[in-house]
Amino acid sequence: MKEEINRIKKKQIPDLYQNLTTWETNRRTFLRGALLTGALTQISLFTSCSAELEKGNDLLTSEQATILTNVIDVFFPDDGNGPSAKDINAFGYIMWVLHDSLGRSTEENDYILEGIQWADDTAQELYFKPFVELTDEEKKALIGIFTDLDWGKNWSSMIIFLILEALLLDPLYGGNINEVGWTWLNHTPGYPRPTEENRYERIMEKQLKLKA
Amino acid sequence: MEYDVCIVGSGAGAGPIIFELSKAGYKVLVLEKGPWLKTEDFSKDEMTATRRDAYTPRLADECHVIEKKDDGGRWSKESTAESGKSLWNGNCVGGSSNFMSAYFHRLKPKDFKLFTEYGEIEGANMVDWPISYDELEPFYTKVEEVIGVSGKVVPHKHLEPRSTPDFPYPPLATHMVSEWYIEGGKKEGFNVIPVARGIISQPKDDRKACYLSNYCGSFGCSSDAKGSSRAALINKALLTNNCEIRPNSKVFQLESNSEGIVTNVWYYNEKNEKQQVSAKIVVVAAQAIETSRLLLMSKSEKFPNGLANNSGNVGKNLIFAGGGAGSGYIDYADIQEPELSKFKSPATFVNQSLLDFYEIEDPTFNGKAKGGTIDFLIEHSAPMPKARTAKMDGERILYGSELKTSLHNYFTKQKKLRFEIFCDWLPNDDCHVTLDDQVKDKWGDPVGKIKLGFHDQNIKVGNYLANKAIKVMQNIGAKKITYSITGNPPTNLMAGGCRFGNDPAISVLDKNCKAHEVANLYITDGSFMPTGGSVPHTFTIYANSFRVAEKIMAHLQNMQP
Repeated sequence: MKEEINRIKKKQIPDLYQNLTTWETNRRTFLRGALLTGALTQISLFTSCSAELEKGNDLLTSEQATILTNVIDVFFPDDGNGPSAKDINAFGYIMWVLHDSLGRSTEENDYILEGIQWADDTAQELYFKPFVELTDEEKKALIGIFTDLDWGKNWSSMIIFLILEALLLDPLYGGNINEVGWTWLNHTPGYPRPTEENRYERIMEKQLKLKA
Repeated sequence: MEYDVCIVGSGAGAGPIIFELSKAGYKVLVLEKGPWLKTEDFSKDEMTATRRDAYTPRLADECHVIEKKDDGGRWSKESTAESGKSLWNGNCVGGSSNFMSAYFHRLKPKDFKLFTEYGEIEGANMVDWPISYDELEPFYTKVEEVIGVSGKVVPHKHLEPRSTPDFPYPPLATHMVSEWYIEGGKKEGFNVIPVARGIISQPKDDRKACYLSNYCGSFGCSSDAKGSSRAALINKALLTNNCEIRPNSKVFQLESNSEGIVTNVWYYNEKNEKQQVSAKIVVVAAQAIETSRLLLMSKSEKFPNGLANNSGNVGKNLIFAGGGAGSGYIDYADIQEPELSKFKSPATFVNQSLLDFYEIEDPTFNGKAKGGTIDFLIEHSAPMPKARTAKMDGERILYGSELKTSLHNYFTKQKKLRFEIFCDWLPNDDCHVTLDDQVKDKWGDPVGKIKLGFHDQNIKVGNYLANKAIKVMQNIGAKKITYSITGNPPTNLMAGGCRFGNDPAISVLDKNCKAHEVANLYITDGSFMPTGGSVPHTFTIYANSFRVAEKIMAHLQNMQP
C-alpha cells in the first residue's frame, strides 16, 4: 500500500488550483468562466430534488453521484452535533455550484470530477473494489489518506468549503435548509437578505452585461 | 453634443466633481465601466458580495499582471487570472465607495510635508505635497457635511486643527467592547479615541440613518447611510438634470491633438462597440491603477509614452496603505452574566483607534519617525471567514465530527477581536504601473502590470505599532493573539501613480490636479497622492475632489467665450 500511496503523492495539482487560500479568502472565485447561457434556469431543480439528483444527473453518473454523496457524508456527518450534510442539502447545493456558468468554468468543475474519479481509482488500487462497495470504515480510511496528500488535501479543502457554503450562505441558494446552519451556530444573518430579484445571478448578469 | 466635463469613473474621486459641477449648471457626462447597481440591488448576501465576483470584473475578462519578489529575491510575474488575486474593488456606479468600511480619518498637517519633517529615507521617494493641510481643511469639513460623517472629536496629541468643533452627526452605536479598548489603553497610558465613520447616524435628505446591519465593509448599504459616491453625491446630481450617467462604458483611450488637448474620449459601450464623446474638460478617476493604465494606453504623436507622460512619471510611485492586522479571542467562559449577554451581541461597530503613535519618538528609529494609526475592531459578521478559520488546525484540514466541533466552538463560545495597522506605504522605484506586453483584456487592450515592491520601513513601523496594539489586546483579556505585518498591500487601499507637485519633471499633475502637460485633463482619484498618510485614503480623496471641483469650475469660467 505504501508504494501505491507514494505514487498517488506524485499526482499534480493543476496550477490553477494551487492557490486555494486565495479562492477561500478573497471575494473572488478562481478562474476563467466559459459562459454557458441558460444553465441557471434550472435553479429549482437543485434546491428541491436532491434525492433525484443523487441518482445521477447531467453532470454526474449515478456512481459519481454516490461517491460524492459518500465523501460529503464523511466530511460532514450525521453525528448528533448539529445538521448533517443531508440536512443542509450539501449535495444539491454543490450541484447548483457546478451548474453556475456565470462565475465558474468547466475547468473548475473538471477538478471536482477528477477528485471523484481519484477516489474510485484508489479504492480499486488499495482495496480491489469500487469505492461504492467499500465499507464505511474503508471509506473513512481512504478519505483519511486523501486529506494527507497535497493533491487530496487541496481537493478536500475545496469540497469542504463548498459544504460550509451550503451550511452558511442564504437558504435561497439551496443549502442551509430552514436556516438550520445559522440556528445551530447562533448566527444572526444581515438584513435585508437576498431576494429572487437581487440574488447573485441577477447581479452577475448585470456585471457581465447580459442584462442592463 | 459637447459636454462641459466628461468624467471617467464614478467613485469617491469622481463623485464631488459630478455633484459640484452639475449643481453649478455645467453639463456633466459620467462614463462608468460597470453596471448601475441601485440601492435595491444590494443585500447582505455573502454569495454576491464576497464569495463570487458579482461586484467586480471577471478575471478571465479583465485581469492584471502582478510582479513580486519571490522568497529567493527574484522578481516574477503572474496574471491575476491565474492567481485569483484580484485588484478590482468595485465595478459599478459609485465604484468601491459602495463597499468601503468608511473609516474616516483626516490626514495630519505633517502628512503634507513628510520630506521636510522627517527628511530623506534611503530607497524611498519622499516629497512634500504642493498644498498644505490648511488648504484642504475646508474640504474635509465639506465632506463631513455633504457625505455625512459621524463621530466625536476628543482632544489628543495629534488632533488636527478643525474649523468646526465636532462632526455633524453623532457617533454610531457601538459594541460594549468599545469601552474595554479604552480601558485597556488607559492601563498602558494610551489614549484610545473614537473613530469617525463616513456613515450617517441620523437621516439626511432622502438617505436613512444607519440601521446597524453589522454587514458594512464589502457590502452595499441598504439605507444609503454609508456615504458612497452614488448615494451621497450622484443621486443628488441627477436631480439637477445636468448629469448623465452612462454605465457599462469602458474608456480605453483619451485622444489628444498636437497641442496636447484631449479631443475625444473613446469607450466601449455595453455591446462592445467603440464610441466617442468630447468635452471641454476631461476628468479621470478610475482608481489609481486603471487611471495610470488609461494614460499609458493613450499614446499619440505628442505623447508617444502615453498621455501626460513625456516626463515619464505616469504610473510611478504607486502606493497602498502599509501595515497589517492582528487578532485575539475573548472566551465567553471568562465573562460573567449579565455582562456576557451584552457581550454576545452581534453588534460589530467598535469605532475606537489609537493615534498616540502617529509620530514615533523612539531610539530604535533614531529619534523621530512617522508612525501610524491603530484601529480596533470586532471580526466581521459574515460567517464564511469564520468557518474558514475553524476548518483548520494549524496546517491540518479538519473534517467529520472534528470539523463540526471546531465550527460550533468558534461560533458559540468566543468572539474574535481585531486590530488593523495603517502606516505610510513609502513610495519607491519598485512600486509602479506599466502596460503588460503580453496579457490583454477581453477587448484586446494591454492590461496593467503592477510591480509590488515595498520599503522595509513599512514593516518596521507596522511591527512597532502592532506591539502597542497587542498590549491593549492583552489588557482586555484577549487570548491567542496573533498578528501579521507584511509587504503585501491591501488591494482596496491604493493611491499614487500620477502624483501632484510643483515640478513638472518629477510629477504628473500640478497642485490643482490638472496634468502639467495637458491643458484640459484633471485626475481626481487617489492617483494624485505623493504620500498617502497613515490612514485609509477615502476621506482625503473626497476632500481633494471637492477642492479640485472648484478649480475646474474656475477653469471652465475662464474658457467661456
